[in-house]
Amino acid sequence: MSDQQLLRRLLAGEDAAYRELVQRYQGAMRAVAFAIVGSRHAEEVVQDAWLAVVRSLAGFEQRASLKTWLLSITANLARTRLKHNRREVLLDDLPGPHGSVDEARFDAGDHWRQPPTAWHDDSPEALLAEDELRQCLERTLVSLSELQSSVLLLRERQMLELDEIAGLLEISQANVRVLLHRARLKVFATLEHFEETGQC
Amino acid sequence: MLKCRQLVALSSDYLDAQLSLRQRLAVRAHLAMCWKCRRFVRQLQLTQAVLRQMPEAPIDDLDERARALAAAHRDSQG
Ligand SMILES: [Zn+2]
Repeated sequence: MSDQQLLRRLLAGEDAAYRELVQRYQGAMRAVAFAIVGSRHAEEVVQDAWLAVVRSLAGFEQRASLKTWLLSITANLARTRLKHNRREVLLDDLPGPHGSVDEARFDAGDHWRQPPTAWHDDSPEALLAEDELRQCLERTLVSLSELQSSVLLLRERQMLELDEIAGLLEISQANVRVLLHRARLKVFATLEHFEETGQC
Repeated sequence: MLKCRQLVALSSDYLDAQLSLRQRLAVRAHLAMCWKCRRFVRQLQLTQAVLRQMPEAPIDDLDERARALAAAHRDSQG
């Protein structure tokens, strides 16, 4: 169903259309709220955003996609909530449960000292078929800073462009790239550890 | 010549197509000669694919929320 079709059904007040809307977009809205206000207030921001959205649906002019519109409403509400105690952009890097791909992996000449091991499973389906690995990945995602995990999810799961993420979170694109890279390396390290040892 | 460690540092930007032409060529030249970094980049792409396909936690109160929003919309139309 396209945005336009969905919008028509939303304006007609169909429950099923609202269900589709929440299912499609709440994950991304949550990630945006989480990045800006943190886990404690993310759910409240999402609820406020939904109310703001349904009240202004009739005025939505479709200059942007529905998703872009929803996410900018969410980001704005999250920022309002933050008011003046805006947090610094936290680039600091919490340790991942299985480390990262860090300097210890390289020798003095910057070549691999400890090259990546080959993984047995070479498709995402095969990897995700293992319950324990899925849980292990969840644990790694939870271990990331709120900002880092949000950026990762917005990029990989929600497929947003880097400049879109930077705009929503009001951080520089360079910072988005740093956050993303560090997060990916930690998830990489978890997968590598699991493929090597068979456990989390 | 790009070293392995620098290649790893550029790897995310490589996947996101954020490198300059010159950097991109340097990465490709290194990958052509280094199986270790080829493996690293391949597995980093696999990491991305895994994240993309990881199931999202289901929304517990989906029906309830949908009904509430539909009602809120109707109210706002007054
Ligand atoms: Zn190399």
